[in-house]
Amino acid sequence: MQEFSSQAAYDRGEAVCVIGAGASGLIAVKNLRENGFEVDCYERDTVLGGLWNPSNQHSPLYPNTHLVTSRSQTEIPDFPMPDHWPDYPSSAQMLEYLQSYASHFGLAEHIWYGSEISHIESVDGARFEVVVKPAAGSAARRLRYAAVIVATGHHWVPNLPSYPGQDLFRGTVLHSSQLGDGSRLRGKSVLVVGGGNSGVDIACEAAVSASRCAHSARRGYWYLPKYLGGEPSDYALARLHSRPKWMRRFLTDRLLKGPRRLAARMGMDEPDHAHTDEEPVRNGRYLEHVGDGSIERRPEIARFEGGEVVFVDGTEMRPDVVVLATGFRPKLACVPAELLGVDDDSPYPRLMARMFSPKAETLAVAGLVESGVGVLPIVHWQTHAISHWLTIRKGDPERAANFRQQVISESDQYAVSSSGISPRHRLAVDAQEYLAGLGRIIDTLEQEPVK
Amino acid sequence: MSLQVWVRRTRSPEPAAVKREVNVLEPADLLDVDAKDDPDASPVLCCSGEPTGAAAFGPLWLKRIAASGRCAAAVSVRGQGGTPAAPGGAEAYAHDVVQAAIGMPRQAVLIGHGTGAGWCALAAARYPAAALVLVAPRKLPKRLPRPVGEPPVMFAVTEAEAQSKEAQAVTAAYGISPLTFPGGADEVFKGQNAEGLLDAILSWLNRKED
Ligand SMILES: Cc1cc2nc3c(=O)[nH]c(=O)nc-3n(C[C@H](O)[C@H](O)[C@H](O)COP(=O)(O)OP(=O)(O)OC[C@H]3O[C@@H](n4cnc5c(N)ncnc54)[C@H](O)[C@@H]3O)c2cc1C
Ligand SMILES: NC(=O)c1ccc[n+]([C@@H]2O[C@H](COP(=O)([O-])OP(=O)(O)OC[C@H]3O[C@@H](n4cnc5c(N)ncnc54)[C@H](OP(=O)(O)O)[C@@H]3O)[C@@H](O)[C@H]2O)c1
Repeated sequence: MQEFSSQAAYDRGEAVCVIGAGASGLIAVKNLRENGFEVDCYERDTVLGGLWNPSNQHSPLYPNTHLVTSRSQTEIPDFPMPDHWPDYPSSAQMLEYLQSYASHFGLAEHIWYGSEISHIESVDGARFEVVVKPAAGSAARRLRYAAVIVATGHHWVPNLPSYPGQDLFRGTVLHSSQLGDGSRLRGKSVLVVGGGNSGVDIACEAAVSASRCAHSARRGYWYLPKYLGGEPSDYALARLHSRPKWMRRFLTDRLLKGPRRLAARMGMDEPDHAHTDEEPVRNGRYLEHVGDGSIERRPEIARFEGGEVVFVDGTEMRPDVVVLATGFRPKLACVPAELLGVDDDSPYPRLMARMFSPKAETLAVAGLVESGVGVLPIVHWQTHAISHWLTIRKGDPERAANFRQQVISESDQYAVSSSGISPRHRLAVDAQEYLAGLGRIIDTLEQEPVK
Repeated sequence: MSLQVWVRRTRSPEPAAVKREVNVLEPADLLDVDAKDDPDASPVLCCSGEPTGAAAFGPLWLKRIAASGRCAAAVSVRGQGGTPAAPGGAEAYAHDVVQAAIGMPRQAVLIGHGTGAGWCALAAARYPAAALVLVAPRKLPKRLPRPVGEPPVMFAVTEAEAQSKEAQAVTAAYGISPLTFPGGADEVFKGQNAEGLLDAILSWLNRKED
């Protein structure tokens, strides 16, 4: 590709544009290529792997990040991880896995690094003009594509609460994604805020390296150890789905009874939701640290007072470091809101089947779900469906129109009710139901062989 | 592999991990031939049903494949050759083939021989092979699954077996007719007939990749 001035858009014909070279972008490129599409993938950073790559400038990895989903539930369906890897691979192995996926399928040659997409817009009906943010000193490049798949992830913008008195606090306050190697916790008095996987993992890290660790969570969650009944927990629970419904309920209760009783014993609030409604917290060490006193549980923060933090139950502490593990805000900055089905600045798109734009037929988003199971397989099936859809749309517009109707009717089936008010809860889907819906969509797409 | 098949697999126990014997020969390893390593040519992974596993491909196969510019490998599934035995039937052997395939530098061609043809056919339904080649297939699974990624499929049998039950099953499943080669089923690994067969396979691979 040559350089193009900001005026003239270079027309890439039937090629598809993928934005982001994290796990989702890589899977999208591979599946599009497999279906015969030409693909250009734009990555703003200089490396692939997205958040799993610590060299990515904004990677939210914290010390010792390991997968919370087990290998068999996390690997890409048509490219398994090596079977001698542990049940819960490390973030370094996850990166190695994504790199080997990319080299195995020759994906790197389709990726343009250092290319942030600042904007996309609809042109000529169903086509898109994509604007690559200029590097210092050069003009913006504009290119036209037949379709765009957005795979920019949703763990880049910290969700930051603010508390009365916080500006005057004399200690350090940082978000979980800024923690880096964790040396800032060593020997300090640490307060971790937020009851999600990040908060609980970081509290466990501080339990052994900090001089004191308190953990503030504002409500009850499901705490699952990484193993249940001698098997990885997510696998053990997923397996029960092949049983009849009545038996599944009984067996699920039996599996979850131990962790639930332990959480109750540690004085935690009962979760106010079913374990499938939100991603459970998966950490076997946490409750033990609470049990041996190396993590002190606290309720929500009420306010900061000088060097002190006061909690809603009236207790106080004087932390050196406050880690806000309060999650992330999804943000699809490069896509105009109306193409995402929202008319304001809401960061929660209203997509059909959680992937197709309700306005533009050839715009889709991959990986914008919080499903409580491995993300990669979900993205594999999403992009499998998207690629097939684009193929059919090219060859058989009438069938494509019928298909769209089906997707619309599927769309409302797997929204879950969650009591959480964190951003991620708005992206939650029930994994089993969402996958079943994707299965129906794919079956429709594949009913007749694509010409 | 449909989504439903994948869901079922994620809910079944994975076969025990074994340390697999994989023999690899790169074009650059050949001292007596001046083979060019063609970076665009897919590597080739072979699997046979013979008890000796990878060793069955002997001196001829890997060398001749590597001489054509492709990275050549052969895997012994559990219980064959230098790979320890472990429980599991055809599905576990297919798992071994897939695990060997993901260790290849790039998307690989799967060549299955004898009973190994069936395992490769199963593996190709889980892993998007660059191409699938079935040589003198035996004891094929009852239903041949549709390969993922729609790889081209080639299939070769001895002249005597051109009408066999296996040959008909392969033709029905993939809609291709067999390429026949002279000689007996035991002449696949050495001798002139073996060389002819291998050259036919290699030229088929080269033709489709133009
Ligand atoms: C700490 C942590 C632990 C996790 N653990 C698990 C786990 O155990 N199991 C699991 O399945 N999932 C886990 N996840 C979820 C994780 O989101 C997925 O595994 C997966 O990494 C998502 O990949 P992605 O490609 O969608 O997003 P990302 O990895 O975020 O990649 C997005 C890419 O897009 C690029 N980009 C963004 N905007 C632009 C733009 N405008 N132009 C060009 N490029 C752009 C970014 O630089 C990045 O490379 C975890 C997440 C976090 C934060
Ligand atoms: N090891 C791993 O694999 C791993 C590790 C970490 C994260 N992850 C994944 O990465 C994603 C992000 O995880 P995360 O833990 O960073 O974020 P998260 O799951 O969104 O959790 C944020 C937590 O902060 C709480 N919170 C938010 N705003 C708050 C406020 N104003 N005051 C008090 N508490 C507040 C939330 O409470 P409510 O629930 O009440 O809203 C929630 O407990 C998830 O998908 C997670 O599974 C995986």
